[in-house]
Amino acid sequence: MKRLPPDPDITVIVIVYNDAARLPRAVHSVLEQSLPRVEVVVVDDASTDATPRVAAGLAAAHPDRIRAFTLPENSGGCGRPRNLGIEHARGRYVMFLDSDDTLDRHACRNMVTAAEESGADLVSGRCVRVLPDREQNWYPWLYRERQVYADVMDNPDLLYDTLSTNKCYRRDFLEREGLRFVDRLHYEDLLFSAQAYIGARKIAIIPHRVYNWFVIKRGETLSISNRRAELRNFADRLEIHRRIDTALREHGAAELALLKNVKFLNHDLLLYLRELRSRDPEYRRAFVELARPYVSQLDPAVFEECNQMPAIAGFMLLHGDAESAVAAADYAPKKGGRATLSVEPVERDGRVYWSGDHLDTAAGRRILDVTDLGIHSAPLDTLRLGGQVTVMRRENRSLHLAGDVVNPLGRIGDDTKLTGTLEVRDRRRSGRAFRVPVTVRQDGGRIGWETTFAPARSVRPIGLVDQTWSLGLRLESGDDTITVRLTSDGVAHEGVAAPVRPRLSRLAGDHLEAYVAESGELALRIVGRRWPGRVTLPALRRAAMTGLGKRWWQRFIRAEQVLLGRLTARATKIAVFNRVLIRLPVKKGTVVFESHLGAQYSDNPKYIYRQLRASGAPYKAIWSHSGGPRGFPTEARLVKRDSWAYYRALARAEFWVDNQGLPAELIKRAQTTYIQTWHGSAFKRMGFDEPSVKQTTRDQHERLRGMVGRFDHFLVRSEHDVRTLVKGLGVTAELARVGYPRNDALVSGGDPAEQAALRQRLGIADDRTVVLYAPTFRTDDDGRPATRFEVPFDLDRFAREFGESHVLLVRAHYLSTAVVPPGLRGTVVDVGHVHDITPLLLLADALVTDYSSVMFDYALRDRPIIFYTPDGEEYVDRLRGSYFNLAEHAPGPVVHDESGLFTALGDLDDIGRDHADRRRRFVERFGEYDTGTAAKAVVERFFTGGGRG
Amino acid sequence: MAEARDIFIVCNNLEELGGLQRWAHDIGRLFTARGHRVHLVGITHAEVPHDYGQDPPYATTVLHERRPPAGGGLLLKLRHRAMVRRGAARLSELFRTAGPGGMVIAAQVWAMEWVARSDTAGMPVIGMTHESYAATRGSSRHERVKRYFADADLLLALTAADADAWAFDTMSNAGAMPNPLHVTPGSVSPRTEPVVVRLGRLSFEKGQDMLLESWAEVAPRHPSWRLRLYGSGPEEADLRRRAAELGLEGSVEFPGATSDIEGALTGASIFALSSREEGFPMSIMEAMAYGLPTVAFDCAPGVRELLTDGDDGLVVTPGNTIEFAAALDRLMSAPELRHSLGETARESVRRFAPDAIIDRWEQQFALLDR
Repeated sequence: MKRLPPDPDITVIVIVYNDAARLPRAVHSVLEQSLPRVEVVVVDDASTDATPRVAAGLAAAHPDRIRAFTLPENSGGCGRPRNLGIEHARGRYVMFLDSDDTLDRHACRNMVTAAEESGADLVSGRCVRVLPDREQNWYPWLYRERQVYADVMDNPDLLYDTLSTNKCYRRDFLEREGLRFVDRLHYEDLLFSAQAYIGARKIAIIPHRVYNWFVIKRGETLSISNRRAELRNFADRLEIHRRIDTALREHGAAELALLKNVKFLNHDLLLYLRELRSRDPEYRRAFVELARPYVSQLDPAVFEECNQMPAIAGFMLLHGDAESAVAAADYAPKKGGRATLSVEPVERDGRVYWSGDHLDTAAGRRILDVTDLGIHSAPLDTLRLGGQVTVMRRENRSLHLAGDVVNPLGRIGDDTKLTGTLEVRDRRRSGRAFRVPVTVRQDGGRIGWETTFAPARSVRPIGLVDQTWSLGLRLESGDDTITVRLTSDGVAHEGVAAPVRPRLSRLAGDHLEAYVAESGELALRIVGRRWPGRVTLPALRRAAMTGLGKRWWQRFIRAEQVLLGRLTARATKIAVFNRVLIRLPVKKGTVVFESHLGAQYSDNPKYIYRQLRASGAPYKAIWSHSGGPRGFPTEARLVKRDSWAYYRALARAEFWVDNQGLPAELIKRAQTTYIQTWHGSAFKRMGFDEPSVKQTTRDQHERLRGMVGRFDHFLVRSEHDVRTLVKGLGVTAELARVGYPRNDALVSGGDPAEQAALRQRLGIADDRTVVLYAPTFRTDDDGRPATRFEVPFDLDRFAREFGESHVLLVRAHYLSTAVVPPGLRGTVVDVGHVHDITPLLLLADALVTDYSSVMFDYALRDRPIIFYTPDGEEYVDRLRGSYFNLAEHAPGPVVHDESGLFTALGDLDDIGRDHADRRRRFVERFGEYDTGTAAKAVVERFFTGGGRG
Repeated sequence: MAEARDIFIVCNNLEELGGLQRWAHDIGRLFTARGHRVHLVGITHAEVPHDYGQDPPYATTVLHERRPPAGGGLLLKLRHRAMVRRGAARLSELFRTAGPGGMVIAAQVWAMEWVARSDTAGMPVIGMTHESYAATRGSSRHERVKRYFADADLLLALTAADADAWAFDTMSNAGAMPNPLHVTPGSVSPRTEPVVVRLGRLSFEKGQDMLLESWAEVAPRHPSWRLRLYGSGPEEADLRRRAAELGLEGSVEFPGATSDIEGALTGASIFALSSREEGFPMSIMEAMAYGLPTVAFDCAPGVRELLTDGDDGLVVTPGNTIEFAAALDRLMSAPELRHSLGETARESVRRFAPDAIIDRWEQQFALLDR
């Protein structure tokens, strides 16, 4: 055995307070490091349990590697023990470890290697939060790949990671900068790491996991960082932030100070605000009192730089309006949560604001302007509204609840008929709920509700496995279902409980008691108030917390989750489809229709369906929908995409009619005929012609081939389709050279009565010239279609120049949403929610598009088309992937900037005349089969004409 | 000079014609030249052995004369397990002969199954993955790498970017080690022959089909130029048919496999790497060493590590055959550009000269036993 040299590479300082049970695990994670020359310095913060003995034992067992020290009196924090550790450290590098956490086996080696290779003062590695049932990376985007920064200004985002424990410090760097932890304040990490970032001359980042942070659920012993509940904690946090501000100021790092405070609003403040709902009014007042002075002195630029909701929250706090601040936090939930609108915004001067107050300053108007959220135009069922319970009391064996629901911008009119249900939902298994009817009152735009129900009759929990239940409201109005999150006004729910009978008998509890969950929602929990539950329930809970009980309990929960997950998993349904369902006999005469993966009732499938119905042939139609039944034909049978019913319907259907792609893994049997109508001719390269597909592995190629190989018939509207789509997708199906059913109306002119009705529904006066703007999707940074579509020209300018005579219809790609400010009502209309674009094409006197396949369809109308391509060469370039040069063949002017667009919009008559020839040639070249008889041809060929295909 | 060590390099087999085997024999020779005692171990024999030269300066051992049974049945699994146990026992015997400072290198994950079950007599185990993270990720090897290499003292990927991806994906033992340059050019390409060359198995992964598509774009503009696809493999018939379909019979040649790399490269002016998947493409290294500019799909971090777009090659979006054709066109049209990129390539590939790489290996060894 080699003798250890006197100076270790790293000293790991392990601090401990009353944690004898876990200390050995932490220390052993250091002893077992793959880097051998690592020493441990244990600092005990004057523990009162067996910790001193355990620490001494460890030191005695490894005298050459472990030294243990004890503070004379408890410091109550992490700062003083760590500082003492630094004094005793001998390693060239120093790391910190808490007694309840561990280091990864290779942490020290990776840290030292990175430090030596880069010469960095500070190396930071990936920290993983270990929760009972899963793991979570801590700020993973900072740790994707190794980096060396000359200083923190190279990547100020580092400030987001404020931990001191996932880092390795050169000891002489700590000495040079005089870096120590502050004492007597919580969150000492924040200040220490900020100072370390500022002082470090080089910072290295490694993607390797270095630190395991074991997160314990809220329980008897709260670790310091979890004990947000205490105001003192918040006060400490603010004090630390003040000191960081000072440190940054002294360092002359104004930019960093700005970034840090942006993070304070985005992260720290929201954390506290989200919890404020579960606090009493007294606490809320004190909280505002503490926060206000700090927020007031922030640089106004912070509000401009941070996210919208945190800016509103900070701004409202600044003005002492805690309610609106908490509402802003409701709209910015934790990852995975759903935004709730719990205030009533106001409309002023054509814009929408979070609140009617504070609009007298330019800053107020800027910060509170929430027009872009689209609250005024989003379908009601996509909003989740906030509701408050103002009355909650026990009446005999029943609960009586009453409250109100926000009605944003009065969108739910008094003439809308609302019905409601109260949902009592198992918080662990969101699929399980009990429902009771609710009486809804509408009065002058206000929505009130009340209900009385006996939990013992209406709610039947099992007991033990389902101890907590959330309360929520569902309001139904026609096809729309509006979900409402219920919170308490802070007082109403106090001490209210009603009897309940768990299926596991009274031993598992006897009452449901109201409380406010950590998330701020009003909830119910099972308690034992009577004999025997009063004794047995706490005893059972205690048993579940012991070592053995906990293990069994967790095993049960996990097994249940796995089972539930398997039963509802898509993979299970597909396996059952392919092995069982397709052995059932085919139901002659059933047709499953789907358009754009169930998103719409539209396109070729819709027009085939209509023709089929008109023909009177005895077919049973089934439509697939993904978002909800709104807008789908009521006379057809509707199935939700990916539901069991959907797979059953597909398995037994005689025909599949689809325009994009039915689930790729499904096997199509010979008795089922798959008519693939496709959804547009191609400008951009498709399928195997796309580089991203071409480069994939053989398996992925085979997958696409298999998917396309299921098509029995493929509709084309030109030989261009044959050269591009058919070749690119590798279509082997029989080609139906009949044109697109959806385009029949574009050739024939369609039904004038239908168009007049649509015109009226959209509120377009008869004398207006209708311009449809229908671009293709834009991709966000991940290459996926962006969910928000920003119109790339000035809508106000359109209103100014053409508002008197024209109407602009804005139609974003179906995967995106555009927002039109309410001030432009009547001049600019968002038609994104209209399922089918064909009636819009019939209505439009002119089209503005870019590279969307709508160009091929609208050209049939022989009306002006303007190609507006502000992102210039990006698509047009053949290199990037189009089948032809747009400028060469475009049946209308191609403009690249806004002024070109507005000039063209002023010249619609000229364009109509001058480009008539080009439009004719375009139709001849790209749409020769669209002659107005496609739907009829399809129906006769496949459904009514005797022989199939 | 570092201390002499016993170095055991364990591969699936030592005889197949492939990049990994070439690397193993090469690195074995280089370690031996530094005074280390090298033992190359193959788990089994190759089906079709390739000649890697007689009387290597290092010891070689093959654990099993017959290939271990593969398959899903219980009986086969039991037989497989028994075989691994016997092989591991033989490995343990070998490892016992090592002196202090010995190292075990498991060059492939399948071979690691044997190493994992053997007694390494206290020697550190270095695992290796010889393909890009993305390529492993898309295959069944992903889970096996994570399972069998988790306890290795070090897991070496071919580039820093791949190592980072592994580190982020639970492998905190991940580090990086490039392959050494394994050719010593006797001469350099004059870059005047109107020939674009591609060496490599004719297989789907190597993407000669995409190269043909690109060639169909450029060939009509450069009637005097030829595309030479060296190699043989499962796709040969399909590729020949495809070339005919595209009307390229006159300009595409299939000379078959060759061992005369120097002849193949000096007889060409441009190297084309059309692969879908790669690790650290040795064929690019060879081309660089012979002074050829390369056009390559950006299909692995290894490509970026070797080539700097516009300096010593042209790197294009994976799968974009039109962009690939445009890059070929640029080089075919401009001899000066070929010369400047080719010369820079020849200089820059020296980073991977054997001496530099072996130094890095010895640093890793030192880290493992400090």
